[in-house]
Amino acid sequence: MICFGRPSLLVILMMFIGRGLAEGGNAGDSETRLLTYERDVRPIFKAMCFHCHGEDDIRKGGLDLRLVRLMQKGGESGAALESGNPPRSLIWERIESDDMPDGEKKLTPEEKKIIHQWISQGAQTARPEPENVEDARYTLEELDHWAFQPIQKPTIPWINDREFGNPIDAFVARSLLESGLSFSPVADKRTLIRRLSFDLRGLPPSREEVQSFLQDERDDAWDRLVTQFLSSPHFGERWGRHWLDTAGYAESDGGALNDPARPYAWRYRDYVIQSFNQNKPIDRFFQEQLAGDEMVQGEVDIDNPEHETLLAATGFLQMAPDATRTSNTLMDRNNAVAETIKVFSSAMLGLTVGCAQCHDHKYDPIGIDDYYSLRAIFDPAFPLTQWRHHDARLIDLTPPDLASEIDRIEAKAKKMEDDIKARREAVALDIQEKKLADVPVEFQEILRQAVREPAKKRSDQQKQLLDDYPMVKPISTIIGLLVEYDAPSYRKFEKEFAEVAAVRATKPARKMILSTTEKPGFIPVSKVFFRGNPESPTAEVQPNELTALRLNGVESSILPDDPNYPTSGRRLAYSRHITNGSHPLTARVFVNRVWMHLMGRGIVTTPGDFGISGESPSHPELLDWLANDFMSHGWDLKRLVRLILNSHTYRQSSTRRSDLEKVDPENILYGRANLKRLDAESLRDSLLVAAGLLNPQLGGASLPVTENPEGKTVIGVRKIKDGLKAGVDSGQAAANRRSIYVQMQRNKPLNMLATFDLPRMTPNCEIRPKTTVATQSLWFMNDSQMVEWSEQMALTARNESEDPAIWVDDLYQRLFSVSPDPASKASCLAYLETQTNHFKADTDEKWREQLLKDPTLASRRALSTLCQTLVASNRFLYID
Amino acid sequence: MKNQLCSRRHFLSSSAFSLSTVAMPWLLKQDGLLAAEGKALPKPIDQPTSFDLLPKQPPKPPQAKSMISMFMLGGPSQIDLFDPKPELYKWHGKNFPGDIKFDNAAQASREIMAPLWKFKAHGQCGMELSELVPHLGSIADEITLIRSMHTGVNNHLPSNYAMNTGQHRSGRAVLGSWLLNALGSESQELPAYVALTDPRGLPLIGGENWSNGPLPSIFQGTLVRPRTPRIFNLDAPRHLRGEAQRAQLKLLNDLNQKHLDEHPGENDLEARMASYGLAARMQSAAKEAFDISGESKYTRTMYGIDQDVTRDYGTRCLIARRLVERGVRFVQILCNGQVWDHHGSIKTALPQRCAEIDQPAAALVKDLKQRGLLDSTLVHWGGEMGRLPVIQFREGLDKRDKVGRDHNTYGFSMWVAGGGMKKGYVHGQTDEFSHYAVDGIVHHYDWLATVLHQFGLNHRELAFRSGPREFKLVEQPEARVVRELLA
Repeated sequence: MICFGRPSLLVILMMFIGRGLAEGGNAGDSETRLLTYERDVRPIFKAMCFHCHGEDDIRKGGLDLRLVRLMQKGGESGAALESGNPPRSLIWERIESDDMPDGEKKLTPEEKKIIHQWISQGAQTARPEPENVEDARYTLEELDHWAFQPIQKPTIPWINDREFGNPIDAFVARSLLESGLSFSPVADKRTLIRRLSFDLRGLPPSREEVQSFLQDERDDAWDRLVTQFLSSPHFGERWGRHWLDTAGYAESDGGALNDPARPYAWRYRDYVIQSFNQNKPIDRFFQEQLAGDEMVQGEVDIDNPEHETLLAATGFLQMAPDATRTSNTLMDRNNAVAETIKVFSSAMLGLTVGCAQCHDHKYDPIGIDDYYSLRAIFDPAFPLTQWRHHDARLIDLTPPDLASEIDRIEAKAKKMEDDIKARREAVALDIQEKKLADVPVEFQEILRQAVREPAKKRSDQQKQLLDDYPMVKPISTIIGLLVEYDAPSYRKFEKEFAEVAAVRATKPARKMILSTTEKPGFIPVSKVFFRGNPESPTAEVQPNELTALRLNGVESSILPDDPNYPTSGRRLAYSRHITNGSHPLTARVFVNRVWMHLMGRGIVTTPGDFGISGESPSHPELLDWLANDFMSHGWDLKRLVRLILNSHTYRQSSTRRSDLEKVDPENILYGRANLKRLDAESLRDSLLVAAGLLNPQLGGASLPVTENPEGKTVIGVRKIKDGLKAGVDSGQAAANRRSIYVQMQRNKPLNMLATFDLPRMTPNCEIRPKTTVATQSLWFMNDSQMVEWSEQMALTARNESEDPAIWVDDLYQRLFSVSPDPASKASCLAYLETQTNHFKADTDEKWREQLLKDPTLASRRALSTLCQTLVASNRFLYID
Repeated sequence: MKNQLCSRRHFLSSSAFSLSTVAMPWLLKQDGLLAAEGKALPKPIDQPTSFDLLPKQPPKPPQAKSMISMFMLGGPSQIDLFDPKPELYKWHGKNFPGDIKFDNAAQASREIMAPLWKFKAHGQCGMELSELVPHLGSIADEITLIRSMHTGVNNHLPSNYAMNTGQHRSGRAVLGSWLLNALGSESQELPAYVALTDPRGLPLIGGENWSNGPLPSIFQGTLVRPRTPRIFNLDAPRHLRGEAQRAQLKLLNDLNQKHLDEHPGENDLEARMASYGLAARMQSAAKEAFDISGESKYTRTMYGIDQDVTRDYGTRCLIARRLVERGVRFVQILCNGQVWDHHGSIKTALPQRCAEIDQPAAALVKDLKQRGLLDSTLVHWGGEMGRLPVIQFREGLDKRDKVGRDHNTYGFSMWVAGGGMKKGYVHGQTDEFSHYAVDGIVHHYDWLATVLHQFGLNHRELAFRSGPREFKLVEQPEARVVRELLA
């Protein structure tokens, strides 16, 4: 059993001393530096050895490696450590020979060297070891990790005794100066508006927007533009998409086999978009997602839109893969909870808490009991013994009048359907009789009886007769094959069925909310699962904040059962705790994400891992300043975004400079802007804009996806004609909605989006991968969708004029927000001429017929292939 | 740890800045504040930032240039296929006398089940193989059979990771990705590493079977579709075929070049320009490579493409041969799910599986040989585990016709051919019950080290740095090249 009490005063005192030690000691040549157990050796033992020699009450061979004095004491084989003498230390002997660690993974030569040197130097500890070994669970070195410390209020640096306009610039300028570097100049206005438009809306600026920005010479033109784009409803779609990645948004259960759909998951997506558009304070946004159900006061009221919002918010905790619809074992349930904890902790805490599910975290001071204490906050909503799958978590908020309308329409459709089926059966009966009439008279009656007898009850004689006269079939078979017996009737009925479907389609959708709730009065006992196995529960735990944070002074009081709420109140208390302004992680992690999305690189480049194995912040003070400023201004996202956008740091040119390249090729210091690339959704949405097809409708049920005859996943539903697959009905205009509304089926991503690195949610995505592969190029070159969109682009361009030079100007403005340079324009015009001649000379028969009717077709087609080439170019995909 | 102290010379209240204030960094320049020389960055960058697939010479002359891995997910029963144990007949029905490592204790028994099929010697070498794999018998003199494989992690996922990535956890790069990283590809017209999956579904761990892990994504395997079209968008629309598309690509290149000139040093832009070149070449090359219609009737019959049961696997084996013939470095032929995982009904299920795969797999070796490709192509056939000599009562104790065998990762068999491996050779052995490998044990890391060696690479040196961490395919210090396997 593992347990440890409150941090002793000694520990806290030692932490205080320890901090001073840690600061001085990092640098220095490891050859000569005095190594200590806590800083140098213990991290190796913790990752590789504690598993059998310390953790979980397991001391193989009686040996405990958690304290130096316990090593000296040794185990069954005697003392394991002789200070200053590696050859006489059993530990060294076993490690050097790779006898230990047991198992396939051994220590690296570097790790061995450290251990050898440490023993040779006398096996020093950084400080006297605690009396109780349990107090040594975490070292000061681990607890002292930067991200666990309170968020500081750094003073904004003055540069050369001068105050800087924007505090962000002051911090960035200082780091640049320290490396002897400087900012790049502000990018030109065309670059800036395109950058801003994609960053805030995920869409290109319109020509009119570009023109008006260029003409706006007021001092605050930029700020006005920022205001304009921030208030666009597309802001919520763009920033909602970022958060949906973090939350692992998907509309299916996951799993290798059938990946069942979650048809109402989209309400959470709409909740996220609306929250960003309303600029909901982020502390509130987090609270709602973790505990919206506990924020509903009294009974859920169908007429209260606030209740709907709060319940939809808790969809956040229903996003993770969950196999329990198809395989509902204890292990499957446990996996679903574990995935949910992973999503929540990486998204909101920026910690890989999930790594402590089976053992203590190998790098961070997070114990397995920490994991289960944190998870205990969620256990009342996810009790393994009283499990509810997604379907059982849907809350029906359909208002009564809507419900009766739905019933009325369904009744009508049913009546129509029954009528068609009755007439269809009559037709089938008629056919059957006709076939019977062709049979010799003496068999007719026997066959009639035989064919109407259920198959299982037929006598051998009846079976034989049916074999002999195969044209006589049961009614059900005739109905199934009606298209072959009587095609005109079949088609007539199909048409009528389509009418029924059309009637059903007018049914308003039921308002089903996928939500996370608790059963009032039921609180499961939370236990540590030995080695992560839910079938091996051990010590009971209470809901609590992570020990490492508590030891760093983070106060938390989460009552096991808050009497003020019908439910446990645990999630509500916790959600308020992490957003109370003194939690060291929540705000840091969030502002870092915002920075990353705008700047193309996070201050911490591992946005979901602020732990010891994550990367250190490049600008720690800036991060803290931003987090602090963000919290002290009401967790106001749009204000934070605006602050960053108004910085010089954001508005710099992205051009690489030779002096920067020498020192900082990765642009860690932000001496320039980063060249960014359109992600999958922005690419598709921009192409729709270019083709003049984008349907800007906000929200609602997702666009269904299906496989087309070629095997690509496309938007639409399968068409069936005469009982066979007959292509895909794309739903036309609806299909041209923004990509965020395309159904996110885990195993069936839209082919176009998947080609351009749409992430697979297993369970969530912290940073989008970026690949450059030939299949992407093939998509631009040959995909039928691309060709279709190019033709649409050409139509729009031709509306402007008949002059190819104007087409090219127009396309450049629309696609890239710039005028073409003379050389490129000349290339495009020459291309148009050559290609027009090429198409004029095309001898394909069908084409010639069309060309005879309309001779301008050749130049139109040339133009559409030019459009295709332009959007395939790097100028379209990359953002300066 | 970064310096947490900050300048306290001045204090600026937060009200002193306005959101719309514009910074004026040029003041810095006016003030002559720019140091002449920059300091080094906090973290040195020693990893190259751009990667390619151009062919590279290994440090030592290689025996193998390409590899085809027929991976048998689930764990084929070595007891019934490859590892005859006469003792087992004597023990049939009796209790296993020693220590057994079960995976599924709930349905476990200690009752020994002798092989359900007969063994017979094949070839000049007299290799003993089961009657379920007669075609393998016909190439006995070409292969090395290893009867002493060992991963020691007794479930599919960890053992699968171990065999493919060297580590029994997820997240690492697979063998094929490492080969690409070290050697690039001989073909710049085809994907350098191709994964061929079963039309019935993806293998157990899906994309992790061809995952690049921490290596750059350019080294991941390319999953081609399990049915035609194997790669989407290889056909240009009619009106673009030929000259029209060439003109498009020429214009595209000109425009991209102009854009690149404005963006000196942006490697990604160049990479994307190159990918259009690759795509254009792939249109014809990949179509041709995946199209088996030009293969002779003799060849098709040899692979079993004319029979329903062997058609799919035969087609994929034939495609694999066509790919290595055209310079593809690594081809993986994968089963769906974990189809060799015969916990139950082994009596009916195992023959079915062998019928699908035995003939095509043997044909692949014969075909490579007759084309002179076997010497430079390492062929691998095997799974992540084998099975236990005792009965697992999956359907209950009374359903004796539906029994199976549980996992065994402590001693199992696989075979290899070509690429400098011995011919007509049997390596290693298990104990008398075929449970534990006891002689000439080949651990998964020994096997991976041996493969690297055949490609002219040293498993101790092949490494990749990602951030502060260094990764290797073979990290176990005790790993060794199994020289006994080499010709």
